[in-house]
Amino acid sequence: MFHVNIFSYICRVFKLTRFRMNKNLKIIGKSTPKLDGKERVTGSAVYGHDIDLPNMLHGMILRTKYPCANIISIDTSAAKALEGVACVITAADVDVNMIGYKRDHPILKSNTVNCNRDEIAAVAATSKEIARKALSLIKVEYEVKQGVYDPFDALLEASPKLNERGKGLEQFGNKNMAESFHYEHGDLEAQKARSKVIVTKRYETSRVTHCCLGTSNITASYSKLDGSLTLWASTQVPFLYQRDIAHALKMDASKIRVLQPIIGGGFGSKLDMHPFEPICALLSIQTGKPVQILYDREEEFLASPTRQPMVIDLTTGADAEGRFTFREVKIVLDNGAYTSWGATTPFVMMQTYSSLYQVPACWFQADAVYTNNPFAGSFRGYGNPQATFSIETNIDLMAKELGIGKDEIRLINANYKGEITGQGLHFKTCGAQPALEKVIAESAYKEKINRGDTGRYRRGIGLASMLHVGGGAKIYRSDGCGTRLKLDHYGYLTIITGSNEIGQGSETILAMIAVEELGIPMDKIKVINTDTDVKPWDVGVHASRTSFVAGNSMLGAVKLIKEKLSKEAMKLLNIDAADFDYKDGSMYSSEKEIKIDKVVREMHFGSNELCVVEYFYEPPSSFQDRKFMGDVSGNYAFASQAIEVEVDTVTGNVKVMDVWVSQDVGRVLNPVGLQGQMEGGIATGIGFALTEEMIYAEGKLINPSFHGYKLLTSMDMPAVHFFPIETYDEAGPYGSKGAGEAPLIPTAAAIANAVADAIGVEFFSLPISAEKVLKALATVKENQLV
Amino acid sequence: MDFDVISPKTRTALLEAMDACQDKKYRFGAGYTDLINDLNANPQEDLTVINLAQLQDEVFCNITEDDSGLHIGALVTAAQVLETPYVQTHYPVLWEAANSVASMQIRQTATLAGNICQASPSGDMSCALVALNAVCDIINTRDEMRIEPLADFFRGVKKTSLAKDEVLRSIFIPKNIQPKIKSGYVKIGTRVSMEIAILSVAYHLQADEKNIIAAAGIAIGAVAPTIKYTQTACEFLIGRSLYEIKDVVLENFSSQVLNYATPISDVRASAWYRTTVLENVTKTIFD
Repeated sequence: MFHVNIFSYICRVFKLTRFRMNKNLKIIGKSTPKLDGKERVTGSAVYGHDIDLPNMLHGMILRTKYPCANIISIDTSAAKALEGVACVITAADVDVNMIGYKRDHPILKSNTVNCNRDEIAAVAATSKEIARKALSLIKVEYEVKQGVYDPFDALLEASPKLNERGKGLEQFGNKNMAESFHYEHGDLEAQKARSKVIVTKRYETSRVTHCCLGTSNITASYSKLDGSLTLWASTQVPFLYQRDIAHALKMDASKIRVLQPIIGGGFGSKLDMHPFEPICALLSIQTGKPVQILYDREEEFLASPTRQPMVIDLTTGADAEGRFTFREVKIVLDNGAYTSWGATTPFVMMQTYSSLYQVPACWFQADAVYTNNPFAGSFRGYGNPQATFSIETNIDLMAKELGIGKDEIRLINANYKGEITGQGLHFKTCGAQPALEKVIAESAYKEKINRGDTGRYRRGIGLASMLHVGGGAKIYRSDGCGTRLKLDHYGYLTIITGSNEIGQGSETILAMIAVEELGIPMDKIKVINTDTDVKPWDVGVHASRTSFVAGNSMLGAVKLIKEKLSKEAMKLLNIDAADFDYKDGSMYSSEKEIKIDKVVREMHFGSNELCVVEYFYEPPSSFQDRKFMGDVSGNYAFASQAIEVEVDTVTGNVKVMDVWVSQDVGRVLNPVGLQGQMEGGIATGIGFALTEEMIYAEGKLINPSFHGYKLLTSMDMPAVHFFPIETYDEAGPYGSKGAGEAPLIPTAAAIANAVADAIGVEFFSLPISAEKVLKALATVKENQLV
Repeated sequence: MDFDVISPKTRTALLEAMDACQDKKYRFGAGYTDLINDLNANPQEDLTVINLAQLQDEVFCNITEDDSGLHIGALVTAAQVLETPYVQTHYPVLWEAANSVASMQIRQTATLAGNICQASPSGDMSCALVALNAVCDIINTRDEMRIEPLADFFRGVKKTSLAKDEVLRSIFIPKNIQPKIKSGYVKIGTRVSMEIAILSVAYHLQADEKNIIAAAGIAIGAVAPTIKYTQTACEFLIGRSLYEIKDVVLENFSSQVLNYATPISDVRASAWYRTTVLENVTKTIFD
């Protein structure tokens, strides 16, 4: 029954979008400022850091002094005795469950500490100063152990078991394996046999972090009267978060209300629930007062998630004509001490290895391995930037060996419309080839490649493409989103959506859809999306899904509210059948016009009926089977980037001069918003390629500040030339596809290829720092002398 | 962070405030771009901050030009240095160094003396001023003045010759004596903005009508515990034509500069990188 309903809903939405594509659109496709733009730029936006509740206490966390140690004793007596301290908690004081994707992570650590983030105790006090002082009074006695910081060391028989709750031995045959993915298609040996060229390389990517300008924050308020817990949290996934908090604290999920203040950056970092969040709730439960925990920048670097560092052993082949034959890849991910959603990034990576370009055979193995490093989380691109870096670099190497143009080899193998890949991804629309052709032409790639500069400054150009989900990803039982619409008798529309705004601009898209479909002016539209007690289900912001899923849900609800309005309007206008046009707050049918607010008034006060509807949209994607075969997304996004760099051979610095990006976005909904996604993604991609790296010495982060961690600034940004490709995919609202993650995915790969073109040396590890470049140049010089 | 603040408005009040603090822990605050970070990282109890931001004193606050050269008050900001045409035309090395300090926002409040008294081996304006043979004008609580070349003022990482009863009042830069100048600041870093130098080279060369170098100042930053004035490299250039510094002569010059570098490896770069780039950069000065 359930499935039948979804199917009929999908059919309705499909009809709607098909109809819309042929119509002149009023606002869709036109640049529209973000709904929260004014608040953001004037400083009146209320972030989690701005929340100040009556009698609120300030929480702080004592983290371990050593990344790997046994805890002998914890003495909190002096901290508890300090005036102004309301509560001090350790693992011994709380009754909680393990957290994390594998439930292998204690909120507060008692017997052992396994990484330099580990939480040992927490205090709540009347001021931050007192809380800080209290932390300094907690005495912890450690027995320091030698940690294991290299995942390959952790895989050795001699290595100790690093996470005592890990089930690696039972599940994957090695005690330190946290997660493992295997995928394959095609006849690998046959494809190897017909390969003219086979290239094998090891790639290494570094640990980078999101650098949200708004640091991690939470405010918790527990009521001892009714046992309810209210959380002001900057999560991306409020409903999963509600469930995670409930599980952690052994509470009823519905007793927990999650409110989402404006977020100062998400980028995937807020997909997992982190220990500080249930810790803050515990402090509030113990004291009966609101408690707030805010990270400072150093704690943000130390304790917020990172991208997975990976070692990727990739072998790829192509035949004499340059057609790809196979990919064989073995990946080791540094899981860190505990397991987060980040361990599932191979799920996305395997799509790239199996299906970016046409790949007849693929063998994929990825293992996430426990170490005493901090645990990695999810990060925009979700493993795809790492995968794409390896694939696209190998493609350049194969082209070189075959003597085929690096652009040619990509065009020969480009994905195409109608393709069903070895993994079962079905590309009902596909802008891969047009995107490639566009950036090749716009960047003058053919003229610029192999320039062979010899002076101090050497220019180079590089090319890379990417494939990513564009219509959500079916990984949770529902990848859907609910919408409620309320039209009031003043003609104002309230959109209550399950989806979340984390800066990506999706709430603006929903409002634009309302303007488009119902002709209600923008200033009469309100979006309610921050309260789990009010809004309907949505799985959360990830997988570039929100405008796609929430947009389709919105269109479904719009259809229902139009039916309601039409029925009432026909009655009022005394006509039997009409197909109304909606414009400027009115409904029009041939000669007749009626204002929407009048229709709603008559509905309320005449027919005694509310103008309220609700709709639930579930994407047409399917679960993959146990072998990871299946059409996992509603549609797929394709993009190519051509990037020109200039290498300074005196300093080794690589300067990115221009980025040409072409992306199949299905259809452009809000050009200015899309341009913002492009520039933001590319900025992150450039940092990943060239400058960003968390540097650890024996498990301790030694650059926890923006002085030491080289996040680039606006002054470093190159010109971004963006050329959207519109393929009008039926599954997406107005033919659109998800676009958020894609812009950073091919950037590092294209830059690496550009640097190689500039100086004739390939780089297989990120970041391509000035020092690495200078060393490579020195080596080339030495070899020439020899 | 908790400290007492005294905000003297005149020089006399300043000296009195310093005198009153001789038995206490005290720090000067002017632009606060480094001090606040420092106090956050190293909290101190019972600290007094003598706030110089409200001080109204011509010598401390102004830039003045006379027959001998340029006097820049301790409280002049990096932005004010950049707004001084005389600096741009006569001391490009200082202008470029000031322009490379952090970001536009920070340059509005960061002061010259703050940059100097932090005694960071990577101080940008400090490095340029050492190349310019700048001299410190220092007064003590008894209003006695002493002068000291800036290169000698630096005694180590975060260490200067300033005694507890002294304050840096202004910096003097001697007038250029030759018609032609070749002057610039090379800052090596990862970012264009908001960057601390991995290494820096400040050069200020003066040549006569025939392009013969008659005065030379070259300083290097972030490759030793203090900013280094490369005395022998400077002497090596005197009497040579600006156009003859190439090939073997250039190699020779470069190795003279390198003699002053004792770089360390840290989170920003290895000693190897610093040495290699220093050598490379010195060879580009005469391009």
